[in-house]
Amino acid sequence: MVRGIGRGGRGIPGRGGMGRPPFNRPRVLMLRPPFDLLLAEPAFPRCKPAPDDSVLTQALLKRHTELCPSPTDQAAVLSLVTKLQTVLDNIVVAPGEFAACQLEEVRQVGSYKKGTMMAGKNVADIVVIMKTLPTKEAVEGLSNKVNEEVNKLMKAEGSGAVVSACHERGFTVTGTSAAVRVLITTLHQNLRKIEPDVHLDYKVISSHLAAIRHSRWFEENAHHSSIKVLIRLLRDMCSRHSGLEPLTPWMIDLLAHHCIMNNPQRQALPINVAFRRALSLMAGGLFLPGCAGLPDPCEAAHSRAHTALDLAAQDLAAATAQTLLRVVARGGHLYVLGLQPFEGGKDISLEITVWDGVVVSPLAPAYNDSPEPMDTDDKEEESQDSVAA
Amino acid sequence: MMAANNYFGFTHGGTQYGAATASAAYGGQTGYAVAPAATAATYGTQRAAATGYDTAYQAAAATQAAAHAHAHAAVAAASAYDASKSAYYQQAAAAYPTAAPPQPQPTYDASAAKPAYSTPASYAQGTYSQGAAQRGAAAAKPAYGAVYSATTATASYPTQAYTATPAQTQKQIGRMVLPTRTGSALSTAKTTNRGNTAYDTALYNAASMYVAQQSKAAPGTGWKNYKTPGTGQPRRAKPPPKAQQLHYCDVCRISCAGPQTYKEHLEGQKHKKKEAAVKLAAAGGGASAAGGARGAAGGALRCELCDVTCTGADAYAAHVRGIKHQKVVKLHTMLGKPIPSTEPTKVGGAKKKVAGAPKIAFVSSGGLRTVATDPASPSAPSTAPSTAHSTPHSPPDKEKDEEKEDDDAEPEVQPVGQDYIEEIRADDGKALSFNCKLCDCKFNDPNAKEMHMKGRRHRLQYKKKVQPDLEVKVKPSMHQRKLAEAKAQRMMVRDELWARRRMHDVYGQGIEEDERMYWEGGIEPWWRGPHHHHHHHGMGMGYGRRPETSDDRHVLTKHAEIYPGDAQLQHIHRAVAHTERALKSLSDALADSARQKTVPAKTKVDDKKDDKADGKEDGRDNQLFSFLAEGEQAGSTSTAGDAPRALKGVMRVGLLAKGLLLKGDRDVQLVVLCHDRPTVTLLKRVAADLPHHLAKVKGPGDEPKYKVELLPAEGAVQVSDAHVGVLVSLTSAVVREPADGGDIKRDDKDVLPRQKCLDALAALRHAKWFQARAATLQSCVIIIRILRDLCRRIPNWTPLNSYAMELLTAGVVQSAGAALSPGEALRRLMEAVAGGLLLEHGPGLRDPCEKELVDALGNMPPQKREDLTASAQQFLRQIAFRQIHKVLDMEPLPKAKHATGAWKFPRKRRRSNTDNEHDAPNGEGKIVKTEEKSDCSDTNKK
Repeated sequence: MVRGIGRGGRGIPGRGGMGRPPFNRPRVLMLRPPFDLLLAEPAFPRCKPAPDDSVLTQALLKRHTELCPSPTDQAAVLSLVTKLQTVLDNIVVAPGEFAACQLEEVRQVGSYKKGTMMAGKNVADIVVIMKTLPTKEAVEGLSNKVNEEVNKLMKAEGSGAVVSACHERGFTVTGTSAAVRVLITTLHQNLRKIEPDVHLDYKVISSHLAAIRHSRWFEENAHHSSIKVLIRLLRDMCSRHSGLEPLTPWMIDLLAHHCIMNNPQRQALPINVAFRRALSLMAGGLFLPGCAGLPDPCEAAHSRAHTALDLAAQDLAAATAQTLLRVVARGGHLYVLGLQPFEGGKDISLEITVWDGVVVSPLAPAYNDSPEPMDTDDKEEESQDSVAA
Repeated sequence: MMAANNYFGFTHGGTQYGAATASAAYGGQTGYAVAPAATAATYGTQRAAATGYDTAYQAAAATQAAAHAHAHAAVAAASAYDASKSAYYQQAAAAYPTAAPPQPQPTYDASAAKPAYSTPASYAQGTYSQGAAQRGAAAAKPAYGAVYSATTATASYPTQAYTATPAQTQKQIGRMVLPTRTGSALSTAKTTNRGNTAYDTALYNAASMYVAQQSKAAPGTGWKNYKTPGTGQPRRAKPPPKAQQLHYCDVCRISCAGPQTYKEHLEGQKHKKKEAAVKLAAAGGGASAAGGARGAAGGALRCELCDVTCTGADAYAAHVRGIKHQKVVKLHTMLGKPIPSTEPTKVGGAKKKVAGAPKIAFVSSGGLRTVATDPASPSAPSTAPSTAHSTPHSPPDKEKDEEKEDDDAEPEVQPVGQDYIEEIRADDGKALSFNCKLCDCKFNDPNAKEMHMKGRRHRLQYKKKVQPDLEVKVKPSMHQRKLAEAKAQRMMVRDELWARRRMHDVYGQGIEEDERMYWEGGIEPWWRGPHHHHHHHGMGMGYGRRPETSDDRHVLTKHAEIYPGDAQLQHIHRAVAHTERALKSLSDALADSARQKTVPAKTKVDDKKDDKADGKEDGRDNQLFSFLAEGEQAGSTSTAGDAPRALKGVMRVGLLAKGLLLKGDRDVQLVVLCHDRPTVTLLKRVAADLPHHLAKVKGPGDEPKYKVELLPAEGAVQVSDAHVGVLVSLTSAVVREPADGGDIKRDDKDVLPRQKCLDALAALRHAKWFQARAATLQSCVIIIRILRDLCRRIPNWTPLNSYAMELLTAGVVQSAGAALSPGEALRRLMEAVAGGLLLEHGPGLRDPCEKELVDALGNMPPQKREDLTASAQQFLRQIAFRQIHKVLDMEPLPKAKHATGAWKFPRKRRRSNTDNEHDAPNGEGKIVKTEEKSDCSDTNKK
């Protein structure tokens, strides 16, 4: 219905000279949200005592403390980030004879900025917005300059030297106990000037711009500490199960936020409930095609977070979550959370396990690359039609 | 060198000067002997211009008869002239008609060394050919001298050297003078020049040819014959005597090996270009003796020796080091010519303040100047230098035209993009060549690299690829600019498009588009519009808001497959209806027999009649079919002390009541409510009497042979025929009452099993719940049927009892908050189960028909729950990946082709059939319908 009205715009064919056939005009994809038990509570009132989840809660909290970076780690990252920020700010304000590129803005993003850093991963992210176009040489020049400047600071301070290495996203400044990834991007209006073989990849550059939006959104909406706890737990879980690895940090952020905050009361849910909910939603196809999924608040209207994954990855992620859900339901949360290694580090989502006599087996992927040829014969049209009537 | 040439070629090339015309003029000159015809022809082409010349000249002459004599006026006039340039064209028209030819002739002759070049009058009359011929023959010597002097003079006066023929001088005088008076007609002189140029060139050519031929014959004369008129040039030294052996082109500053090569050179493109450029520069007036100014960029440097302008210090240095420069130095040394210091000359000091620069640059004295060698005519020599000087000295800035104007943006262009030039090194680490990655070009020379980095092409690339805000001078003409703008526009649109497309890719829109097509179905909703609505009318599923998706079509197709056929339904309904009526008849009989003991049973017959009149003959509305007669209130029976009816009523329960029958289902269930606890005795009585009543109900000659079985363990009686089995359970509301205490009659032996009675009661409630809650939900009944089919096919699903399934489906569909299409409903159900709804930690399925919290699925063992969940998870992903046919165990349907007429046609036909009973069955309403029909036939038979 809504689309029917929106369709009124058909009277303006080829708006903007694009010459697109009106049929392909981007329309709002009307998809349903998945079944969410928490939101369907009225239809499924609890009729048996809620299971005692204190074991799970404790396990979750224990794991979280393990995942939190130590104060020394945090301090190390902080000091390196501060230095880099200083250096980069200087370049922004007074480039001097540094001519490899011009910087517009420097912003901290990512897990460090969001406060969701994981122990053992002392890597902070800084996005540098260039006024000039991000050629590989410009990145290299900036890298060298930053390296030189930071090393000057380090020398003055008497601490160890840093090394800067370029890669396809920018460069990474690595100190003794921490590292900072400097992600290069450019002004929005420059995006369309990007050429694949001269500059950094378009996708990379726009993803860095998106990272800025993400951290801004996070600051405004997801500062609740339960969310951060859940993010750490989920990221850890995803990193340990191959099927869930393709999930981007941003998807996990959104999922955690959804699981904690999106409930009728709008109050943060307890961590155990939220954790189960996250698994259940993923198992219930939140990130599958044909599902509304999680709308991406930082992208143009109606884009879904999980479309960043390809179809095979979506299938695999859902299958893994489904297996993990059943494992957790049988009390296997210690393995899922990584508090205990499963049979010497095997991926529990890929193994057949037995819990109190109940066999939990992994699932086969449903996605196959070559969709069966759709035969466009009209023969069956009639029988089908009679059903549709 | 090349750069300078190119530069001039670019800025001026033919627009103002008409180089092509000039070459045409050259082309006419095949040999040194100037063919009169050819010359005439050439001249003819220039006719219009020549006319201009004439008129200008004449105008000048007419208005100021003696003007030409006053050469000195020129200097003063120059500024005025320049100021008036803009008025050129309009004034030309004005000046045109005024023609008074005879006047100038004497003066002309006096000043000119060439008699052939006699009068404007003869000029105009086309008698020139003679003049040319004459000149070729007779005026050889003076011409030679003139040429020579001119060439030597050019070192510092590159432009003026050739230009001042006597005629020119004449013209110039006229020109210079004119503005002082009228400030108008002068501009005509310009056209004159253009016309004249060709002529001059021809003359020059002829002269030089002559030189080439005659150099041996008259070696010394040239040198003695003249004095450079307006030199002011100390470095103009005597050339070495053997100069005549050298064929030296002063324009290009090269020597030629012999006369032939020299000639060829003179005819060559390069020379002509150069010459044209030189003339232009002269025209621009930028060529000053002191500055050697050929206004280039503000920072441009100029090599005096080679007459080369370099764009920067680096370029200059490169030039000085270059082989060309060295050659020229060598040559000049050999010639004994002065070699200017290698210090570059700064070009173009002050920026001009041109007000309203005209479109066409003024070309001054484009021709070959034959310096008057006749000392007897003092006016001429004095004139020539004065003109030569006047041009540069007259505010040079003003004279600089637009072509100069854009040359000077940045005084010092910073080389950019050093990082993008990679050095290709040899094995020993020495730089072999350079590769500019931005422009994709290579240099072998570091200087070339330097220059490239300052060059515009490189800067443009840099701007494009590195720094979008870099300023690059652009100096295309208006037309080019427009073209460029249009191109940029197109590029922008294309880029935009491309960027947007890429953006789409980035955020998976490509997939999305595809996905949309699949999940939203192929059709646009407005397409189906009212038809759709009409179609589903009365089926309790107005999901016409959305088009059908592929999933929907699959589900509906499957549903049609599993839905029982009409024959089967008829059988079932007939059997049930018969049983119900037989039970009523039985109940009446029982009531009668009971009443006979207490009350006279007269009223009974009436009751029965009333009952019939009531119209309710069986329980086809799936509500309780009460056996009680009209006045026979349930409450009154007890109060009246009447013996109550033992069998109070019968109700359809289970699949039949819910309309969930599938193809192949043959067992249906009826529940008879008894007044008291049903006993075995009662059951036996029912079983015994029922066949009789059945026979009575169905009529004598009817087909079905009913068989009645007694199932005491079930607390039921089974009525069956060939197709259908109807299970009639006896129960009573009393059974639910607390079973503690001694309240229970201890005649346990006789009472039917309690659990069975309770089950039957529960079945009653479930049927009622279903009708109230589930049946009204969109797609719910369809999905339950599909699920029932699933349970029949897949072992993992079998443990899901039907009531739990109904509860689950109803809950799932209801919680969606909006109407779901069948496909969506099925997927949502799978989502719910896959998400662990039925696992142990889930909330369970609360039974709404019980007061206490009862899990409808409480007895399901963990492994079954596990398997069911796993199966649903797999199904969910299969649905998501377009394999719903695997879930439903059917062939995939072909893609719907909605846009074609094929879609509309069957629909139309179908609509005409809507009242046909053979409609595809969809809801439980259908059952009622068919039932009605069968009932009708039944009653008819009765």
